[in-house]
Amino acid sequence: MLPSNLVARRLVPFALPSLPSAPLPSPREAHLWCVKPDELKDASLLQEYMKILSPCEKENVLSVKGEVLQKCALLSRVLVRTTLARCLWIEGLSSGCLFHARLDTDYRINPRSFKFKKNRFGKPEVEWQHNDVSFLPSLQFNVSHTSSLIACGITVNDPIGIDVEEKQRRPNADVLSLASRYFSPPEVQYLKSLVDSDSQKIEFIKLWTLKEAYVKALGRGFSGAPFRKFTIRFETRGDLVSEKLKTGEFRIAVEPVSDHETLTANWQFALAEITGSHFAAICMGIDENDTGKEHDLLKLKVWKTLPYMEDECLSDSEAVIKISGLS
Amino acid sequence: MATLSAAFASWKPAASFINQTKGLTYPAKVASIGTSRLNFPSSRSSRLHIRCAAKPEIVNKVLEIVKRQLALSNETSLAPESKFSEIGADSLDTVEIVMCLEEEFSISIDEDNSQNINTIQDAADLIDQLVQQKTEVA
Repeated sequence: MLPSNLVARRLVPFALPSLPSAPLPSPREAHLWCVKPDELKDASLLQEYMKILSPCEKENVLSVKGEVLQKCALLSRVLVRTTLARCLWIEGLSSGCLFHARLDTDYRINPRSFKFKKNRFGKPEVEWQHNDVSFLPSLQFNVSHTSSLIACGITVNDPIGIDVEEKQRRPNADVLSLASRYFSPPEVQYLKSLVDSDSQKIEFIKLWTLKEAYVKALGRGFSGAPFRKFTIRFETRGDLVSEKLKTGEFRIAVEPVSDHETLTANWQFALAEITGSHFAAICMGIDENDTGKEHDLLKLKVWKTLPYMEDECLSDSEAVIKISGLS
Repeated sequence: MATLSAAFASWKPAASFINQTKGLTYPAKVASIGTSRLNFPSSRSSRLHIRCAAKPEIVNKVLEIVKRQLALSNETSLAPESKFSEIGADSLDTVEIVMCLEEEFSISIDEDNSQNINTIQDAADLIDQLVQQKTEVA
């Protein structure tokens, strides 16, 4: 299974160091952990990563055809497990606690110990163990990948959907044809209003990622929220209408799908550019009882990682450019 | 999806047994357990359906369009049994493939019905059926 272009450099058994911890997301905040598959070059590391997976996940990874896609499938699972594990560690548990079985020596959750299930529409979720419920925050997660970047977004409590796409992605088909076929009429009008075809392609990709993020946040599958039946709009904040607005002032809104289920959450969006190469769209379902102001923007923290090897915080650097919906 | 043995166990006559609601799945970019591209399976996908295999020329045309969209070389082996979720087709690739297929065969693939297409063979079978329906109506 080892990709032929990887070399096992190490002559001694390789053991993973401990996973550095990370803070829990605050309310209205998403944390985005990103990995670039090209950075995984070490065969021993790849072998160690395989050990983190459940038997079922290993089987699925091995059934993917092609070395590159297999590596992405593997990294995707490793990213989810390690991202969740980083935030969860408990201090001062008594020795009688059953929870101990899942912990490494320093009271951190072992990434191998997570179990996953799917909701009734197929959206992956953590299957919290019986004893977890009273101890652990309810982490929500969602994963997205391109061949060059895999991202895992997490929140506490709030349903989340994310989508990442290469900035340079240019559909083979004409974007107006694609939009006419798949997007809602107002979105098609928006694209038609753009003057040059390159702007049209870029805005198409942005709309695409936002629509994907929404569908994934809803967790009801592509057919649960057909793209044609909702509109993503970039709208101005009411209190700034008279001023010339900078890009960051725009809020992204969705006209709700007409279904009573979706009205229980206030779906909010954010769009950012990551490492100059990718758009990342995030959709979160903010509880309607949230005490924040209705037009409060979301917060985002971003890290780039090669799990166990290197973590780099990208927030507040040039590597993360906020486009819309973020404070 | 029911197995053939279950299908025969509860055999009923006639057309009501044939599931007409088929379509392409649109794999969202979600990693589920293991696979890198995975569909959200529909809660309605427990219906039985029986298909006849599509003509080879339709299968070949689907293979050709998929290879072109995913920029796979001609040497890349792509089998009719290949799952879209396992060959690196993301959701944008999938909708482009759908549009190409619609143009190529002059059919309309209704996204409301798109649940049960997992492999290239599934896509070819659906196209064959839609083309036949169009011919019958004409």
